[in-house]
Amino acid sequence: MIQKFLGAFIVALASALVLSGPVAATPAKEAPWLPEAAAYRLTLFLGNLEPLPWDDVGTAWAEPYRGSEFSVGALAWLDGNSDIGPAPLLDAITREDRQAVFAEATRLIARRIDEELDRAVMADDPARAQQAVRTARELYRSFADGIAAADPDASRRIGLAWLELNSSTGSAGVLGAGATPASRKTMEAAREVISLYLAENYLVDDFAPRRTLSALPETVVLSGRTIEVPPSLPPGFDIFDQDPLPRLVLNFEEQGIDETDLPLVAYGDMLFDSAQIFGNPAQGLGVACSTCHNRSDVNQRLFIPGASHQPGAIDVDGAFFNPIFNDRRDDPIDIPSLRGLRFTGPYGRDGRFASLRDFTRNVIVNEFGGDEPTPFMLDALLAYMLEFDFLPNSMLTPDGQLTEAAPEAARRGEAIFNTPFAALGDRSCSSCHVPDTNFLDRQAHDIGSVALAYDGARTGAMDTPTLLGTVYTAPYFHDGSLPTLAAVVDWFDESKSLGLTGAERADLTAYLETVGAADEPYEAFDAENTAFRLAFSELTTFASTLDTLLPQRDAKHILLLTDTVAADLSADASTMSNLAARPEVYALAQRLAEVGDAVRTDDWVAAETSWTAFKSEADAIEERAF
Amino acid sequence: MAIHMNRRTMLALAAAGAVSLATPLAAQDTALRLAFIPQENPEKLLGDIEAISGWLASEIGVPVEGFVTIDHAAAVEALRNGDADISFMGALPFVLAEAEIGAVPLLSEVYRDAPSYTGRIFVRRDSGIGALADLRGRDIAFADPISESGYLYPLAEFVEARLIDGPGAAEAFFGRVFFAGGYQQAMQAMAEGLVDAAGASQYADLLLTPQQQAQVTWIAESPPIPSHVVIARPGLDAEVQDRFTNAMLRLNEPENRDKLRYLYGPDGYVRADPAAYDGVRDMARRYGLLE
Repeated sequence: MIQKFLGAFIVALASALVLSGPVAATPAKEAPWLPEAAAYRLTLFLGNLEPLPWDDVGTAWAEPYRGSEFSVGALAWLDGNSDIGPAPLLDAITREDRQAVFAEATRLIARRIDEELDRAVMADDPARAQQAVRTARELYRSFADGIAAADPDASRRIGLAWLELNSSTGSAGVLGAGATPASRKTMEAAREVISLYLAENYLVDDFAPRRTLSALPETVVLSGRTIEVPPSLPPGFDIFDQDPLPRLVLNFEEQGIDETDLPLVAYGDMLFDSAQIFGNPAQGLGVACSTCHNRSDVNQRLFIPGASHQPGAIDVDGAFFNPIFNDRRDDPIDIPSLRGLRFTGPYGRDGRFASLRDFTRNVIVNEFGGDEPTPFMLDALLAYMLEFDFLPNSMLTPDGQLTEAAPEAARRGEAIFNTPFAALGDRSCSSCHVPDTNFLDRQAHDIGSVALAYDGARTGAMDTPTLLGTVYTAPYFHDGSLPTLAAVVDWFDESKSLGLTGAERADLTAYLETVGAADEPYEAFDAENTAFRLAFSELTTFASTLDTLLPQRDAKHILLLTDTVAADLSADASTMSNLAARPEVYALAQRLAEVGDAVRTDDWVAAETSWTAFKSEADAIEERAF
Repeated sequence: MAIHMNRRTMLALAAAGAVSLATPLAAQDTALRLAFIPQENPEKLLGDIEAISGWLASEIGVPVEGFVTIDHAAAVEALRNGDADISFMGALPFVLAEAEIGAVPLLSEVYRDAPSYTGRIFVRRDSGIGALADLRGRDIAFADPISESGYLYPLAEFVEARLIDGPGAAEAFFGRVFFAGGYQQAMQAMAEGLVDAAGASQYADLLLTPQQQAQVTWIAESPPIPSHVVIARPGLDAEVQDRFTNAMLRLNEPENRDKLRYLYGPDGYVRADPAAYDGVRDMARRYGLLE
């Protein structure tokens, strides 16, 4: 079974329930969901959105979830593997009856668990019994987080029942060697524990009305107790860093200045990676600025069902992250790159914020439900983000002219780029994408790319985006509707009737691809220069701000740092290639947590001592930190 | 060829009658049949089988077919019955298959530069358990009774430490002994506090969440266990064996490494050394699984 330790750490969602304390920004990959369990969890998630996306609920049952390992959706899967009919559920979906959908879907999953438990108990050989137990348990995962949050005793009792059940299936051995018989009596007793709980909590005839759909057991809901189920994302989500990882270009770093000598910048760097500055659910899920803006750029793979219409896009003012900020409009936007941020204002796809500071506060407080940031936090975040530079591109001069390294087609394209067209009001592409000001004009224009929300609306203007680095940020336009730069050229040619020939479109595309190129767009890793080494270097740099904050006795900002960095360091250790050094990294993370513990008790001497030890231990293990 | 259906989930035959680029092999006029054992989702495995068998067919010069069995035992039976020519197998089932039907080891999987790994006893860091003796009267979860790293080798550490008399005496030392069904389930039971310890592969903690990984540690480690093995039925034509083995070794080459993910994701393969499995044979004898 050595095969099971795959490169990535793949875990069941249920296991995330043991999380406590600060949540790291290192998300854990999930084990695959069975089709009907995935559909159920998607139903719960989508059922809490306002307005409720009913089409998506139907799709959740009809089609495989995004990234599913199964080629069929839940309905087809049930048809082939279960005697339980989905008709009542489908009827409830058709009627758009939220409570009925919840009830029918919940009962369906509970019945499926019982069906598999029946199969396990009736199986005539251990392998089939174990397969049925495994399936039943994977279905139970649909409810597991609700039970664990609301009824820890039951969660433990059922957990032991699963162990008991699997153990008592016996073993076929190999050709008779090592065979052990099943214990039917034990199997039936263990199954009874599970089935009884299901009957009382998930197979009830009338569920109490649910304001929030969740997997909480019915008896607990009826008790009126307030239970916080840890936030989770539904099957199909993807908040992992894109691979390859974008290269981060920081102005000071390119000049040879060490970030540890820039404590405000380093603190801002930490905040950019900290989920602690957001509220729940973002905080609990480990979502930070860098989740969407990997290394100051974009995250082309980011996808959250119900909030993303395609990878790399998200609706940050929808129902999920901060309901009070829900604009009730289904308008996800393609994540913009933050490279060269100090040159790219105003901010927001439509340029609604002239001030980066205002924009940043809006992200923290409104979009992601965080507490009001302190002036120091905003100063630090801005100090860091204003260091984001564009990717160096040897085919382009600093004032936006092509160098000798640029291909000939790009030179022909450059001429077209600078040619005024009558259809553009005698303007050229370069009128807005001004080459000597980083290919933008810092204004919003309505180019006709936005469907107007109502007659007479003047809502189509979007901030001119830079063309620098765009080879690596596909798709294009505010909603990511155009997949390639060539498609962008075609769109302008057709919608503006520019009359370009095929060759001219190709040349103009070549120019855009040259302007948008970079010498080294991605981080390069090897056996020892790993993603973890990069993370280790960053995290210890973040911690270096304690040299400034501890003498100031700035408890609030110290704790924000220690909570973030200790948790991240510990979590990131799971990605290490050098497994033997992991315990040292855990100990180092603990050392930083001790700084926080001491500050919480106002023991500044102990805090200084732990911090000194941290620095010394970090230096000692740096070479092995890969 | 007729396929016996006993104890086998005939999920589907992933036939890969790809057009062969290699020299056709006269000795093998029918397809080479590979038996795979599902680790997680059998349906995903079917897709993987289709991908890898197509490539193997073009490399070897004969059609290659793959199918999924329900477990190791069914794969061994398929080899014995002639329903399968080659199977992917754990070290313990291999030595049992070798003894029973004369199965031949061809290739060993490589993980982290070694064709071996270890079994460990994991506990929670906050459990106060620092030595095997501390587990007297406590509960433990293993992966499966027919698992070398998920049962036999970790349990042998207790015998080595003279805490239990032999493989059959585990119940007298522990409170409860569970077989959780796999590494992940055993580790999860330990991490959640359902049991006090878990016996599993040295890499099994990577199956926990990053946060859980920081909360667990290990207190004993077995000697090296030879890694999983690719085995052939007795009597499989020698040239076919060679061609298959050589093709599999080409998976180590940079241009082919991406295909390893279709085969349980090892880092590569080496030719199997039959002597490397002596320790497993000894262990199987100690547990009464081999005469």
